Amino acid sequence: MKRFLPALILGLIGLALVAVFAFQRLRPPVFHGQIMQAGDPVADFTLTAHTGERVRLSDWRGRWVALYFGYTFCPDVCPTTLAQLAQARRQLGAEAEKVQVIMVTVDPERDTPERLAAYVRAFDPTFVGLTGTPAEIAAVASPLGVYFARQEVGGASGYLVDHTASVLLLDPQGRLRLIWPFNTSPEFMAEDLAYFLRRG
Amino acid sequence: MSTTTAPLFPTLRLRRWQGVLLALLAVVLAALLVFVIVQPIKVLPRIRLAPGFALRTADGSLLTNESLRGRFVLYSFTYVGCQAHTCPETDAIMRAVQSHLRQGRIGEVPVSLVTIVLDPENATAAALQAYAGRVGADPAIWHFVTGDPTTLKTVVGAGFEVFYEAQADGSYVFSPAMFLVDGWGIVRAAYRPVIHPPSADRILQHLNVLEREVRNSRGIARLGYEAAHLFLCYAP
Repeated sequence: MKRFLPALILGLIGLALVAVFAFQRLRPPVFHGQIMQAGDPVADFTLTAHTGERVRLSDWRGRWVALYFGYTFCPDVCPTTLAQLAQARRQLGAEAEKVQVIMVTVDPERDTPERLAAYVRAFDPTFVGLTGTPAEIAAVASPLGVYFARQEVGGASGYLVDHTASVLLLDPQGRLRLIWPFNTSPEFMAEDLAYFLRRG
Repeated sequence: MSTTTAPLFPTLRLRRWQGVLLALLAVVLAALLVFVIVQPIKVLPRIRLAPGFALRTADGSLLTNESLRGRFVLYSFTYVGCQAHTCPETDAIMRAVQSHLRQGRIGEVPVSLVTIVLDPENATAAALQAYAGRVGADPAIWHFVTGDPTTLKTVVGAGFEVFYEAQADGSYVFSPAMFLVDGWGIVRAAYRPVIHPPSADRILQHLNVLEREVRNSRGIARLGYEAAHLFLCYAP
């Protein structure tokens, strides 16, 4: 029996290592946002990019899209989220080119393409800003679960816009896969993105 | 003369570690199979995002989907003068669910009921309050909301995918659907006549399934719930 003891211990250690490896590879992933089963692609839409061109959401098929609704006069939530997205992208290194961040304005009256361009590029030169008529924005936002409403506050800024602050992650086929709540850390976003980029 | 015949299936000669690995794999596969067949964890599918909205309530304030975040919400649809049998039936289901909620039997997650009124031209604050009073709505639980026609079309038509159309006599043709939405704003159950007809019992059962998922889906148990979603272990 003593002869086999070292082999038995080694075997058990090996088995434990295999079990840990198998668990890591096979377990369902635990994300830092709310995962969605991949269903149909979200409805395509056409808006005006910060470059002035009319673009469609489907133009980014083939890339992961982090879709965010915000506005350039936004005092806190939007700059925080865009900075976190920029940091998450940087953490992905070369893989970051497979991820496109898009901010759709919820304040189309004030957010001209020029203003949007200066704003989104300040966070990351690859970010895209989209605007349109108020009706176009409303038609895009609501079916994606995004609410926005103008709040008169007086003073220099005139008004603020209350809005949903989640980030929607669409896969390369345009399907909604994950929803990050406001203030998800860049590390968590990068972790989730890295998983998706690895697994597809 | 004697002849030897080759065995039909060649004997598989395995080293011991290969045997152990195969046995492990068999155990994992068997566990998966048992999980899929027995379905020890039931969930509701994550169907799609419920629409975002800011709609006017009976007391003139705005109700938004963001203010309902973190709650389970049951949505229904009606119009002020609805006499068709579908409206009283839907209202009765909402009332039965409300009655159950007042007895506080759905765990810790708060639940709200929202009825979207499709005819803003008739849905004055007084008309909404009268409707709410007629069906026995508790304003702390059950909200009646409306908005301008364009917003309603976006929210109800594009968001919930419910067809409705005004008729010349002021009535509305619409599909009497109901939707159960979770705290993330995700539609988890859609009740439509014929396909998935709504009933208070079924909705309450679904609310309990959702509540269990929220309560138990933590730590290692979350993996089980994600596996249940992955293998479509859906509650009937």
